[in-house]
Amino acid sequence: MLTPLETVKKKRAEAINRIVGKGYLSTKRVYVGMATCEIAAGSKDVMEVFQTAIKNGLTDVYLSQKGCAGRCNLEPTVEVIEEGLVPVKYGRVTRDMAHQIIERHLKKGEIIEEWVIR
Amino acid sequence: MSRKYSITICDGPTCLHKKSKELESAIEQCLKEHALTDKVRINLSGCLGMCGKGPILIVKPGYTIYGSVTLGDVAEIIEKHIIKKKPVARLAIEEDHLYNRFFRIFGDVNFFGKQLRIVLRNCGIIDPESIDDYLSVRGYEALAYVLTQMKPLDVVEEVKKSGLRGRGGAGFPTGIKWQLTAREKNSEKFVICNADEGDPGAFMDRSTIEGDPHSVIEGMCVGGYAVGAQKGFIYIRAEYPLAIKRLEKAIADAKAEGFLGDKIMGSDFSFDIEIRLGAGAFVCGEETALIHSIEGHRGMPRPRPPYPSVQGVFNKPTLINNVETWANIPVIILDGAEWFKSIGTEKSKGTKVFALAGKIKNTGLIEVPMGITLRSIIYDIGGGIPNNKKFKALQTGGPSGGCLSEEYLDTKIDYESLAKVGSIMGSGGMIVLDEDTCMVNIAKFFLEFTENESCGKCAPCREGTKRMLEILTRITEGKGEEGDINKLQRLGKLIQKASLCGLGQSAPNPVLSTLKNFRSEYEEHIKEKKCRAKVCSTLLGYEISEKCIGCTACKKVCPTGAIAGIQKSLHVIDQSKCIRCGACFEACKFNAIKRI
Repeated sequence: MLTPLETVKKKRAEAINRIVGKGYLSTKRVYVGMATCEIAAGSKDVMEVFQTAIKNGLTDVYLSQKGCAGRCNLEPTVEVIEEGLVPVKYGRVTRDMAHQIIERHLKKGEIIEEWVIR
Repeated sequence: MSRKYSITICDGPTCLHKKSKELESAIEQCLKEHALTDKVRINLSGCLGMCGKGPILIVKPGYTIYGSVTLGDVAEIIEKHIIKKKPVARLAIEEDHLYNRFFRIFGDVNFFGKQLRIVLRNCGIIDPESIDDYLSVRGYEALAYVLTQMKPLDVVEEVKKSGLRGRGGAGFPTGIKWQLTAREKNSEKFVICNADEGDPGAFMDRSTIEGDPHSVIEGMCVGGYAVGAQKGFIYIRAEYPLAIKRLEKAIADAKAEGFLGDKIMGSDFSFDIEIRLGAGAFVCGEETALIHSIEGHRGMPRPRPPYPSVQGVFNKPTLINNVETWANIPVIILDGAEWFKSIGTEKSKGTKVFALAGKIKNTGLIEVPMGITLRSIIYDIGGGIPNNKKFKALQTGGPSGGCLSEEYLDTKIDYESLAKVGSIMGSGGMIVLDEDTCMVNIAKFFLEFTENESCGKCAPCREGTKRMLEILTRITEGKGEEGDINKLQRLGKLIQKASLCGLGQSAPNPVLSTLKNFRSEYEEHIKEKKCRAKVCSTLLGYEISEKCIGCTACKKVCPTGAIAGIQKSLHVIDQSKCIRCGACFEACKFNAIKRI
């Protein structure tokens, strides 16, 4: 029988496989903040824009929610992470901005500098 | 600007000592020589928690950590890693610790750079509703580790050794609490997670649970194993619906994966967790009141001893810790008590989460190592006071804490030093006040809160806070009397000494600390009937200046007909008729009415 430590390591390997199966290795990973504070600031709208885009055929993107990272005055926040590049963090994202992030950043690889959190 | 690369230099005290400043200028110089200044961003970070291997550099992308970097290594790192894209294996250190995971994503932002994240390690990094995400960041490994390798008493010893203290506010050594519960001989014991967060302006616990619910559950399981409990309760306010939803999902997922329930991961240890909802009474954050509430009684405190560790919920030995305390536990187990002990000050180890709010540029949730100065939090992380206003005071600890003036800003954060200057660490609310804040009014605001929330069981708290509030109200209305300050002080000290529980014992703190640090403002209110921050409306007068164009808007809204003047000519306020309601001030569109 496996020890608890062996069990948890096995479970971790399975979990990582499942995450990869969901497309974690896509070119770009998008994280939308979805804690109470972010939702109050309007992150549900932003999340919906990304979800709709994926439903309508946006590919090679792994979309996930995350908890509050702590930037209350800049919420809702969206992170775009691409292997090999410094992660990009957008603040005060609106529905409109989310559309532009999809068109300009996710599709064309342009970082929209004026919205980036520093 | 291309954002392809960033180099982060650890600016913590140990690394500074090991010449990290010289490294910074050497890197700048070297980047200049290779004409890379535009392509590589240099960041400074607060202590990264790797002091033993300092000075530390982190190069992104790739997130390569270089340790013990000397001036001679700089050229090699830049030429090999940045130009040839081959990390320098000789200097790279492998780290698989739990803390500071956020650094990979947020480490290049100043706001995050000064932080050290242990409790919030996964907040904003993983999907809180996915147990797979938690497992992938070594989730439940601490629980598996103690079940495989450690006896319950070893776990208690490890927590004791770490120097962790209760993060709910009082700072009682967590390990001692565990030991006291563990040594009770009783076949039935309980653990409780106190998530009854009630301070105005505080949201640390909510964010922790919403961002990483599994870490709290895992901490509780380890605690249950250590003290020999079979069941845990999470007491959380019903007003946190999302946190409750995520906890429920996390508990269900953990059960399905076998991390909760009977014979966890094939061991002999069985443990289950139940959520209990609180109705939002502030007093239920007090442990004995919380226990009463869980038992189904009215939330009222009782005298201690017996302490909950001997006689807690349903009269069984009970271990009760705060959300933040529980979330620290998996890190202490996996990264080790020795490491944890190396962070912080002599008597306060580890980090503290604060909810930064009020008159500050970057409001938000932060986690900093103990020993950082208040000034560093406000100016380095918080970005200072907006609109060029002047800093006036820092309120820590919510309604149980106090207000600190500018002279205390270099105080290093730990339980003792904050208590020494008249405030408390508290659960982590931190409100910045600027010159537009009236200190008497702020003391009144917090006292209104505690007076309201007093459960009424003991007279000093029930009657005392009411009387204090009456005096404060009188002062802010311009009816303050000679001797009121002495009365407030005497009453405050009495309430502190004679109240039954922490609510009453700490309720006078906001008043006493503002009396100590801002006494002149009280005196002005009482003697000169003046509020320098122009907040207490009944102490203000209004005057119409030359800017008045005679639009008559103010005259129309004045309820007492105190304003005279004809159209298109300067209006005048008859001060004897003015009741200082401020309606004219609100109505004027030309900024012609001034507060005096």
